[in-house]
Amino acid sequence: MADFVMEAKHVYKTYGYKKTKLEKNPNQQNCVNAASIVEAVKDVSIKIKKGDIKLIFGPSGSGKSTFLRCMAMLEIPDKGEIYLGDECLTKPGVDLNKARARIGFVFQHIYLFRHLTALGNVELALRQVLKLPKEEARKRALAALAEVKVLDCINKYPSQMSGGQAQRVGIARAIARNPDIILLDEPTSALDPELTGEVIDTLRDLAREGTTMLIVSHEMPFAREVADEMIFYDEGTIVETGPPSLFFNAPNTDRAKKFMTRIINRTTKE
Amino acid sequence: MDVWQQLIFIVEGVPLTLSISILSFLIGIALGLPLAFIRVYEKEVGFIVDAYEKIFRGIPEIVLLLLFYFGLGPFFPIPFGNAFFVAAFVLGLRSGANQSQIYRGAIRGVGDEQILAGTSIGLSKWRSIWHIMIPQVLNFSTPGLGSEYALLIKDSAYVYVIGLAELMTRAIQLKSIPPGDVVTPFVIAAALYVALTFPIAFWLDRWGNKRKKKLGL
Repeated sequence: MADFVMEAKHVYKTYGYKKTKLEKNPNQQNCVNAASIVEAVKDVSIKIKKGDIKLIFGPSGSGKSTFLRCMAMLEIPDKGEIYLGDECLTKPGVDLNKARARIGFVFQHIYLFRHLTALGNVELALRQVLKLPKEEARKRALAALAEVKVLDCINKYPSQMSGGQAQRVGIARAIARNPDIILLDEPTSALDPELTGEVIDTLRDLAREGTTMLIVSHEMPFAREVADEMIFYDEGTIVETGPPSLFFNAPNTDRAKKFMTRIINRTTKE
Repeated sequence: MDVWQQLIFIVEGVPLTLSISILSFLIGIALGLPLAFIRVYEKEVGFIVDAYEKIFRGIPEIVLLLLFYFGLGPFFPIPFGNAFFVAAFVLGLRSGANQSQIYRGAIRGVGDEQILAGTSIGLSKWRSIWHIMIPQVLNFSTPGLGSEYALLIKDSAYVYVIGLAELMTRAIQLKSIPPGDVVTPFVIAAALYVALTFPIAFWLDRWGNKRKKKLGL
C-alpha cells in the first residue's frame, strides 16, 4: 500500500514550441526560437494523501492548469514522474487509459458530451470503461447525479442546462467511477457568482465525505473552510505551501503576500 | 406506348437507382469517416487521404465507371465484371472523397475538447472518437450530407454507360421503342429525379438542423 494516493516528482512541462525556419535546416537541428517557449511547469513536486484536500492558486497564465493536466496525464510531462498509488504513470508502456479511469477530472469549461443527456454523460464511463452491466451502471450514475443534486435534469442535454447544473453533472461524471482522486481545474471560474455557489456547495459536500481532491481555484472562503493545504503557484512553480491560516494571516513570501492582498481586497469589495 | 406505360416502364428502374445511391452513400460514410479522422489526427499519413480526395474528386464518374467496368472487368470478373458492384463502388469511392471533406469540417466544429474529456474518463483516443466524436460529427454534417445524397441520386444516372437498367437507362431505351418519343421519357425522368432527391434531402437537413439546435452544436 502506497503512502500517497498521488505524487508528482520534479515535473517539467514546456509548451508553445514552434518550429522556426532555422530549425528546419538540418544543420541546425536543435536550434529553437527561445521566445516561443513557455515553461508552464518547472520542477514541481507534490504529495497527496488519502482524504487530502489541496488547493492550488496563483495568477492566471502561471501554468496551474497545465500542471493539473500533467497530473492526470492528459498532457505528458517532459520530465519528472507522476505516481498514482504505487504505479509510475510516466514510465513507458503504462496503460494510461486504465490509470485515467482512476482519476476524476473536472474541467473549467466543463466539456460535457453534447450528444448525451446528463445521465448518458455519467453512464458512458461506467458502461464503456468499467464495463458494468446496464442496470448497475444506471444505478451508480443516478447515485452520482443525486449526490450533486441534479436529479431534476437527468434527461436534459448539456445545451439545456444552466452552467451550474452542467458543472455539477461534470462533477458527477468524475465521481461516478469512485476514482482515487478528483482533480478540479477552476471548476467555478466560468460561472457567475450565483451558479458558483451551487457548485461550491457540491464541493463542500464532497469534502465532508472525505473525497481526495486537488483543486485549482480562487474561491478563498471555500479554501479557508475545507483546504488542508494551500499551494501558491506562480511562473510555473510552487512558491509557497501551507495551511490556509498561514496565507490568510501572514504568508512568508512577498509574492504570495501581494497576491493574497489583492484577492482579499477584491472579495471584500464584492 | 402512351405516357402511363412510359412512366411505368421508367419507374421500374427506380429501385435500382435507389439501391445504387443508398449503397454508395453507405460506402461513402464507411470510407469518409475514418479518412477524415486520419486526416485530422494522424498527420503523418494525411497526405494519402489528400491524394485519394484529389484523385476521386478530380476524375469524372463516367470515366471511372468505364475504367473499372471495361478496364478491370475482363481481368477481374469478380468483382469488377458485375455492373451493379462497379456502380456502387465507383460512386461510393467518389462520395467517400466528398464526405471526408464534409466530416473534416465537422470534426473541427465539434472540437478536440470532446476527445480530451473522453480520455479524462478513461477512454482511449480512438474509443473517444467512436463513442463521442462520431455521433456528433454525423449530426454536425447533416446539411452537407443531404446535398451529398442528392448528388448521388443524380450521379447514378451515369451508370447507363455500363448498361444497368436503372431509371436513366430505361428512359433512354424508350427512344427505340415506338413511337420513339424523345421528350416525354426525359421529362418523366427529370420529374422522378426531383421526387427522389428533394424530399429526403429536405427531411435530412431539417431533422439535422433541429437536432443540432437541441444539442447546441
